[in-house]
Amino acid sequence: MTVLRVLLARLRGLVSRGRADAALDDDIQVHLELLTRDYIHRGLSSRDAQAAARRAFGGVDQVKEAYRDQRSLPAIETFLQDLRYAARMLRRDPAFATVAIISLATGIGASTAAFSVFNAVMLRPLPITDPDRLVLLQPQRRGEEFILVNPIYEELRGRQTTLSGMFAANDTPYLKITFEDEPAPAYVHASLVSGSYFAVLDLTPHMGRLLTEQDDQLPATASDDRCAAVISYRLWVRRFGQDRAAIGRTLRVGDSRCAIVGIGPATFESHQTGFTPDVWLPLRPLTDRKLLASRGMAFFSGVMGRLAPGVEIAQAEEELTTLYQQAQAAQPQPPAAARQPQTTPADFTIRLASGAQGFDKIRRPFSTPLVMILAVVGVVLLVASVNVANLLLARGAARLPELATRAALGAGRWRLVRQLATEGLMLAALGGLLGVGLAWMTIPVLTSQISLGYVTLTDARPDARVLGLALALTVTAAVVAGVLPALRLSRTTLQSGLASGSRTTIASGHRLQRLLVTAQLAMSLLLVSAAGLLLRTIVHLAGVDPGFTPAHVVMLNVRDEAPQPSFGDVDDAIRKARRAERYRVLDERLNSVPGVQAASVSWLGLFSMQDLWLPLIDPDRADDRPNARVDYVSARYFETMGMQILRGRGFRDTDREGMPRVAVINQTLARVRFGAGDPLGRRVALDYRGEQQRPFTIVGVVRDSKYNDVRDSRPNPMMWMPIAQAPFPISSISLRTLPGAEASVARRAEEVLRATDPDIMVRSTTTLSAQIAGKTSRERLLLGLSSGFAALAILLAAVGLYGTLAYMVNRRTREIGVRLAFGARGDTILRMVVGDALRLAAVALVVGVPLSLAVGYSLRAFLFGVTPTDPVAMAGACLVLTIATLLAAYLPARRAAAVDPIVALRYE
Amino acid sequence: MDSDQPAGEVPYGTLDLMVLKTLQVMGALHGYAIARRIEQVARGSLALNQGTIYPALLRLEQKGWIASKWGVSETKRRVRFFTITRAGLRQLAAEQRAWARTVATLNRLLEES
Repeated sequence: MTVLRVLLARLRGLVSRGRADAALDDDIQVHLELLTRDYIHRGLSSRDAQAAARRAFGGVDQVKEAYRDQRSLPAIETFLQDLRYAARMLRRDPAFATVAIISLATGIGASTAAFSVFNAVMLRPLPITDPDRLVLLQPQRRGEEFILVNPIYEELRGRQTTLSGMFAANDTPYLKITFEDEPAPAYVHASLVSGSYFAVLDLTPHMGRLLTEQDDQLPATASDDRCAAVISYRLWVRRFGQDRAAIGRTLRVGDSRCAIVGIGPATFESHQTGFTPDVWLPLRPLTDRKLLASRGMAFFSGVMGRLAPGVEIAQAEEELTTLYQQAQAAQPQPPAAARQPQTTPADFTIRLASGAQGFDKIRRPFSTPLVMILAVVGVVLLVASVNVANLLLARGAARLPELATRAALGAGRWRLVRQLATEGLMLAALGGLLGVGLAWMTIPVLTSQISLGYVTLTDARPDARVLGLALALTVTAAVVAGVLPALRLSRTTLQSGLASGSRTTIASGHRLQRLLVTAQLAMSLLLVSAAGLLLRTIVHLAGVDPGFTPAHVVMLNVRDEAPQPSFGDVDDAIRKARRAERYRVLDERLNSVPGVQAASVSWLGLFSMQDLWLPLIDPDRADDRPNARVDYVSARYFETMGMQILRGRGFRDTDREGMPRVAVINQTLARVRFGAGDPLGRRVALDYRGEQQRPFTIVGVVRDSKYNDVRDSRPNPMMWMPIAQAPFPISSISLRTLPGAEASVARRAEEVLRATDPDIMVRSTTTLSAQIAGKTSRERLLLGLSSGFAALAILLAAVGLYGTLAYMVNRRTREIGVRLAFGARGDTILRMVVGDALRLAAVALVVGVPLSLAVGYSLRAFLFGVTPTDPVAMAGACLVLTIATLLAAYLPARRAAAVDPIVALRYE
Repeated sequence: MDSDQPAGEVPYGTLDLMVLKTLQVMGALHGYAIARRIEQVARGSLALNQGTIYPALLRLEQKGWIASKWGVSETKRRVRFFTITRAGLRQLAAEQRAWARTVATLNRLLEES
């Protein structure tokens, strides 16, 4: 307690410095007076008495010093003194301070923002107990990702012993539900989960209860439409205003009526970063029975388990793999495709990945780009710190006389180091503060870029880990920027004493500076060349001929909510006819929207991210069933997409049910199936229930086009059929518009949909170009960031170079004066300075080019149309660097050339 | 000088004890009076730099063993008067016991040899 009290008293002393000093002065004054009086009483003269009093008292200054040390915390007091001094120094040179602080703020801000997103995607564990015991099941076939179908999942779940529980989840971004007493349906984010979901995650409800195994049983009779639902805390707040009566209400999902049995925990949002379910529903009662039983069709978003106590991950992996292989052995293997060898059960394994962060829908695709972004911002931070160190060095060198004077007046080396380090620390602290502010503003922008399919990162708020990193970066920056130059300068100071002109010390400080500038230039080259490679990639991607014309096409991603055939079934004729008629009406109205050149509806559409292949039957070669990508489209589809018909014809309104069935194929399918022969008039059927016996006659061939990704190197065999003859539910509507009419057409099209067919729900509206660009979002993200940061790095390096050269010219004024006096011409001097800068750049290139090649190789997966050693990108980067060097050198060089020899020689 | 012995330094840590004892016996005193009193009691056996009393007073005040308030000196000047606090009294008692023990131990040790 006493210790604490003393500390508090001392801290108070720190604040009330002036008052305490005055009190001591009073005390000492009185003390000396009384002592003097005593001595006078003893018979001393007034003057002798005063002297004796002083002797008896001891040194007044020593007492004051001891008192001051006792009063507060001397270390802090010195620090405050240093801080005040540092602040004064920075205020005296605001340009320097601004450049330094902005450099550091950008470096720290970018790093913090990037790490914040990295943290949210890659590191942040689920807010549950023991997240480290969760594992993700990743089935593999011959080492490649494979699907897990429900029957096998059930078998694994029933037989395994190394997990205390496992669950599957099917995340659905747009589930149509109807709340009791509400006329209109709502679309919500839903997760269909196994009954063990909440038990495995070990969650407790906010209110009511959570789903259990009982909720996840198939109803005993087909007429039993009851089920249970848990709504999220957020939905409860948003929709029910936290009304307790929400529990017990029902919501209709398809044919089922689910009673809300509980509210999910407030702290837990989801098992998948970037996807927040509004409602959790039991998987089995709400999934089509045929789909549940399917051994070919998987629908899980992921499968997760919790390791049983004491079980190692390898043990569980081994057991699950054994069970998985047994299950595969029991399952009839599909006939091998022509070129692929027959698979054996030994080809199948189950890999367990850590599930601490939940499902890996965005974690996996974004881990490499995020690591790269971290590396980029790390380089920027390094460049920024080096820049500040360099500036401090240059300025410190200019302050050598001042430092030398202070050293001569008795300031110890350590005191000087501390002084200079405090300046670095102050810069770093201000930079760090500003940087965290910058990060705060940048994080949302960066966050929205982390998006794939239905998963979009929404929350990357910095947590303790992120702020800890920001602090660590600030301290590191302070050390690099402050302490290193301080050590350097203090050494030269003490060596040189007051001889401020000492050539050797200047030269050694100068060497370090040149080294730092070279390092900066080399690091900038890395970023510039990486940006160059990515830029070339994007240019190449934009230059790819997709086989259609993406400009001015509005795309509506839709869902037909009218009753659909269940999985594996086909519709009866009446339903088909009704659907075909709906689509005909819709197609007609869409085509008459003002501004529309051509419109069409289709089952899948292009770049819909669906990846569907169907086997075809050629009646002439029934044994060989090649796969092709198929689609059902309305009459003006090829016109809408801008696909060129090479032979025969496209579809017509007359290609209807009751008319001869027709199909259009692409060049590749024509070549693969029919070789040199004429495909027109040949017949092809789909290997699909109810379709095998009803072949389509080929009436046209279109030019090859890309399907889902412009990077596809090999064109896919494709086939189209009129949706009027095979009315499958549409998911895509495309409208080719007049240039500039996209927005109005999109709006009008949605109105037409609402007015014509309320069963068709619009999930999103976009353009074909945007949909294609979405496929290269990671490349664009990397390009945007790397070019931005490359520009920043090169700017910083140029500033550093400018500072170094300006300082050098300043120090060499006398030498330049001598040269000029001996007849050197101004442009010789100019060349000397510029040549010096170019030598630094040359060294930077020699070091930077091999490193840039290495960076290029690590970027390989994101490159398209360029090699990692692309000479254009590399030459461009070198050119940019050289130009930056010349620009930075020009001003100091001009100043050097303009030196007046008379003034210069009088200078020292 | 009342003693034949040369004046010794103030043993480390004993100044605090002396100040506390003085304030316990004499009540409120200013710095000069405390120093005078200690010198009188020591009868010249201590060479006290009177100024060192002030850091000691501050130390004791920070520990909460003494308190200060403003008063007026014999020369009609503003000066701080110090008094011992409750905690100071407890501390003094404890230190007196400890001191007595130390002295007794030392005495026994010195007599035996």
